[in-house]
Amino acid sequence: MAFEIPNFAPALPEIFVFTMICVVLIVDLFLTDKNRSITYLLSQATLLGAAILSVVIQSSVPEYTFSGTFVNDGMGTVLKLFIYLSTAVVFIYSRDYLIERGLYKGEFFVLALFAVLGMMVMVSANNLLTIYLGLEVLSLAMYAMVALNRDSSIASEAAMKYFVLGSIASGMLLYGMSMLYGATGSLDHTTIASAISEGSGDDIVLKFALVFIVIGLAFKLGAVPFHMWVPDVYHGAPTAITLFISAAPKIAAFAMLMRLLVEGLGGLLEHWQDMLIILAVLSIMIGNVIAIAQSNIKRMLAYSTISHIGFLILGVIAGTSDGYAASMFYVIVYALMSLAAFGMIMLLSRKGFEADTLDDFKGLNQRSPWFAFMMLITLFSMAGVPPTVGFYAKLAVLSAVVDIGLVWLAVLAVIFSVIGAFYYLRVIKYMYFDKAVDNTPINSAYDMKVVMSANGVIILLLGIYPTGLIALCTSVLA
Amino acid sequence: MSIEPILFYIFSTILVLASVAVVTVRNPVYAALCLVLAFFTCAAVWLLLEAEFLALVLILVYVGAVMVLFLFVIMMLDINLVRSKEGFIKYLPAGGFVAILILIEMCVVLGPENFGIEITGEPLKHAADYSNTKELGVTLYTQYAYPFEIAGALLLLAIVAAITLTMRRRPDSKYQDPAEQVSVRRDDRVRIVKMAAEKKQ
Amino acid sequence: MIELSDFLILGAILFCISLAGIFLNRKNIIIILMSIELMLLAVNMNFVAFSHYLGNVDGQIFVFFILTVAAAEAAIGLAILILLFRTKRTINVDRLDSLKH
Repeated sequence: MAFEIPNFAPALPEIFVFTMICVVLIVDLFLTDKNRSITYLLSQATLLGAAILSVVIQSSVPEYTFSGTFVNDGMGTVLKLFIYLSTAVVFIYSRDYLIERGLYKGEFFVLALFAVLGMMVMVSANNLLTIYLGLEVLSLAMYAMVALNRDSSIASEAAMKYFVLGSIASGMLLYGMSMLYGATGSLDHTTIASAISEGSGDDIVLKFALVFIVIGLAFKLGAVPFHMWVPDVYHGAPTAITLFISAAPKIAAFAMLMRLLVEGLGGLLEHWQDMLIILAVLSIMIGNVIAIAQSNIKRMLAYSTISHIGFLILGVIAGTSDGYAASMFYVIVYALMSLAAFGMIMLLSRKGFEADTLDDFKGLNQRSPWFAFMMLITLFSMAGVPPTVGFYAKLAVLSAVVDIGLVWLAVLAVIFSVIGAFYYLRVIKYMYFDKAVDNTPINSAYDMKVVMSANGVIILLLGIYPTGLIALCTSVLA
Repeated sequence: MSIEPILFYIFSTILVLASVAVVTVRNPVYAALCLVLAFFTCAAVWLLLEAEFLALVLILVYVGAVMVLFLFVIMMLDINLVRSKEGFIKYLPAGGFVAILILIEMCVVLGPENFGIEITGEPLKHAADYSNTKELGVTLYTQYAYPFEIAGALLLLAIVAAITLTMRRRPDSKYQDPAEQVSVRRDDRVRIVKMAAEKKQ
Repeated sequence: MIELSDFLILGAILFCISLAGIFLNRKNIIIILMSIELMLLAVNMNFVAFSHYLGNVDGQIFVFFILTVAAAEAAIGLAILILLFRTKRTINVDRLDSLKH
């Protein structure tokens, strides 16, 4: 059997990140708690280096290597850059929080970088096997991160629920993949796509495979009715970990949706469209309605995540490149908003105090008008109020759905996001019109405050000038 | 009639019975042992499918490592047997019914209509000198080199994660530090005190 | 002659037993973890059977990786289980209700 050495260049960011994980792991061994900032700087350098490498090796036409198991294309590069960015922001936001709780250890950084590696593998996967392995690297790292605070009983409970439901989801996904392999005789997305378009795969078997794959994906995305783990994990995990889980993995989940459903199973569009419509409608409805009843802000944001996932799926349902671009724009914007919202919870928290109930936000305007304003922008953006970027994200997704004639779906989504606006506005009311319960001054590191402000300002600026990012998403998916 | 179908039905009956036992027996130790039996018979079924390497790996990895880990954890934790089976009987009719319903639906798709011998054709019989291990190895290290590397990363992650979660040094526990023990000098332990001799009383 | 559908139905039976096991043993996480292993066994059965009848080795490669991942997953799952037992002194699922709104 002739074997050619594959071209390693497109996978340089992955190789770099993995090498650096090993370096961080070894260097951290010789550090004491006092100079842990070396680990922190090394981890940030890893993300920066990976970003530079990703930009250097970007290619406008898809580049396949490692016998077609790996693909490097425009969508991959953009998504990876936002994964690095949101992870870097997570590291900045969570530093003080972790130090105060005694969790500021090398393990946090190593596990987070492993999760980043898993996401990169998922984003660049062109084979059922690589997508599965990437997903598992991400999931295993996240299970461990949720349980990172070993003395907290709610954290280990959340980790256990996450683990059990995540493993069942993997099982479902794998069962679907095995049927797909049986029907098409290949694990390669490109081969599967051509087998389906030639009609060589048995139609009923393909549909059967699709059901399991969609169930598995819905579990991983946290779409209703497979959303049970989301509120518990968001609530139970330390806020720093919730922040991490809520941002970058959503971008990777979008990539998985694109690679598996659109690139691999694009020929079965009409079949998965119907299934995704059910998931999207239920997610938007249940997410927005149950969020109203929450008194814990982490749980509230978890249900809000579920409804955002519904919107994300809407764009994919459209099945057009405009729809995919709208979804991609939505997921990037969502990651930015989620970073800002959970970042604010961490800003308000301090040693022995979590700031995770709605009451903790009362009178924020008196304590810090600037950060109250930042939170206002973030919440407006999540609710989809113009001129914030959340409005354009929702608009793009909805217009893609209207374009294919599903007007009822768009109307339903709008009605429920108006209902959903209620719980965002309630937090704003608490911040501006209620008296502060505790008046402890907000103390946090200088860099966190700067990045936090930048995060809020970007949400506003992107709302005023959204065309650049939209054009970027459209161009890579054209 | 060849012997293969007979073997297949014997092994699959044992496999199904063992799996049912895993989810129904009261004692988790028995459940783990039934799972070992299920893995063993499954390996036998895989031998019928000419997947010799995987059949052996299944026994080595699962029976040898994973199930031992399971048994270790079961015996380490003190599980209340009576409580842990509550509700089983209550849900059995509904759960069993739903499971059988799903099974029948799956069998409609997976039955001979779609995967019968007329459609799949007879599988290729390999010659006696065919090596499944070699075939797998060649594909694994050429075509699937990238997933293989990721699997390496995954195993490292599992090591880091498992140690992070379970290794802890409790402040009240007493442990030995060999380095400290070895580096002990006489001066640290013994103090020679010069005293004036006492007069005999 | 054994047909491919026989192996697939065997896989489906294992899959359904594991689903029923997860559903029925909601009180005991150890049995749930074992049911998940059974589910992966069902998937592996499918892959090996398809691989044999398609005459292509990709399915067996996939099984090789599933076995690797499942071993890693079991290690982490049991680590979380031990953690849970340490903090709660129980692994009964119905005692795990502190995360209710």
